[in-house]
Amino acid sequence: MAALDPQAKRRTFERLANVREIVFGIQDGVLTTAGVLAGLSGAVAQRSQVILAALASTAAGALSMGAGAYLGTRAETRILRSEMRRVRQESQGQPYVVQESLLAALAKEGLSREAGYRIVQLLSAAPQALYNTAEEKIYGLAGATFGNPLSDGLLMGVAFLLGALVPLLPFMLVASLRLGLIAGLATTAIVLFAVGYAFEGRLSDQRYPAVAGLRFLGIAMGAAAIGYVIGLLIAPLGAVPAG
Amino acid sequence: MLKPGDAAPAFDLPCAFDDKLSHLSLSGIRSEMVVLFFYPRDFSFICPTEVIGFHKARAAFNAEHTSIVGVSVDDAESHRRWARELGGLGFPLLADAGGNLAREYGVFDAAEGTALRATFILDAKRLVAYAVASPVNVGRSVSETLRVVRALRSGKLCPADWVPGADASPADPD
Repeated sequence: MAALDPQAKRRTFERLANVREIVFGIQDGVLTTAGVLAGLSGAVAQRSQVILAALASTAAGALSMGAGAYLGTRAETRILRSEMRRVRQESQGQPYVVQESLLAALAKEGLSREAGYRIVQLLSAAPQALYNTAEEKIYGLAGATFGNPLSDGLLMGVAFLLGALVPLLPFMLVASLRLGLIAGLATTAIVLFAVGYAFEGRLSDQRYPAVAGLRFLGIAMGAAAIGYVIGLLIAPLGAVPAG
Repeated sequence: MLKPGDAAPAFDLPCAFDDKLSHLSLSGIRSEMVVLFFYPRDFSFICPTEVIGFHKARAAFNAEHTSIVGVSVDDAESHRRWARELGGLGFPLLADAGGNLAREYGVFDAAEGTALRATFILDAKRLVAYAVASPVNVGRSVSETLRVVRALRSGKLCPADWVPGADASPADPD
C-alpha cells in the first residue's frame, strides 16, 4: 500500500478547489458560442461573418469571464481575510471564549467533554495552533477557503476559451453553414455530457457517472432552450410596426 | 430563580470529595452557612478559575463557619476526575445529573442542558440569604462572595462595599 503523502493530498485538494472555475468556464464558453453560432446562422447569410462574430464573442467572453473570476475571488478573499483578522483579534482578547467554543465544537463532533478539554488544553500551549483550529472548527474558515485570484481568473478565461472552441472548430472546418452548425451543436452536446460525466460523475465517484453526464447536459441545454424560448417570446416587443 | 428568604430546596445527591465518591445531603451539612455555587460543566476553561478560587479561599470561608459546595450536571465520576485534574479541591462537588436541583433553584438553562453560573448563600435556617447569577462567560468573584458571607454574619445593616472593620449600623445604614 502506498504511503499517504499529506502534502500531495493537500495539493490535490487545492487543485480540486478549482473545479468550479473549470466547469463554469467550459459550460459558459460552449453554450455562449453555440448560441452565437445558432442565432447568427439564421440571421446572417455569410458564413465568414458568423465565424468573425463568434470569434469576437469568444475573445470578449474569455476576457470578461477571466476578469470577473479574478475580481470576484480577489474581493471575496480580501473580505474573508479581513474578517478572519478581526475574529483573530477578538479571540486573542478572549482566549477563554475561544477555548470554550472549540470545546463545544469538538463535543458536537462526538468527543467526550474530557477528551475535548485535553485536546484544547494541549492546543492552548501553542496559540497559533489553537486559533487556527478554532477558526476552522468554529467558523469553518481555513486556508483552503481562500482562492487565488490570478489562477482563478486564468483558469476561468482559458476554460471559457476551450469551451468556445468546441462548437466553433467544427463550424469552421465544415464548409456548409447548415452542416457546420449541426456539427457544432453535436460536439456541444457531447462535450457537455463529457464534462458532467468526468467532473461530477467520475471525480466524485458516483455510481452512475453517465447519469451525472446526462444531468449536466440536460441542465445546460435546458437553460439554453429556456433562454431561446424567452427570446422568441419577447422578439415581437422589439418589432418595428409596418407602415 | 430563588430569592432571599425562600427556603432552600433540600438535596441528597452523589458527590465527589477528596478523590472519593459519596453522597451529600443539605441536612448533613453542619456549618452555620453554606455557599452553594452552580457552574455549567466540568472540564471547561472558565469554570476552573472560580472553582480554584473557592478552593484557595476555603480557609477564609471555614473561618466564617461556612461550607462550600459546587454543583453541576456532570456525574460524580466526572467531578472526581475534574477535581483531580485541578490538583484536588477542598470542598465537595455535587452531581446534579439531569439538572433537577438546578431546576428547583431556578437556575437550569434548558437550551444548554446545564446550570447557570449561580451562587446561593444559605443561612443557618437553610433559607436563601443571598442569590446571584452571572452570564455563562463571566466568572464570579470569590472575594465578593466571601465579603457577602461576612456581611451576612455580621448581623448588621451593611452599606455598599462594606468590609469587616468598617462602620456598620445595627439600625440604620444612613
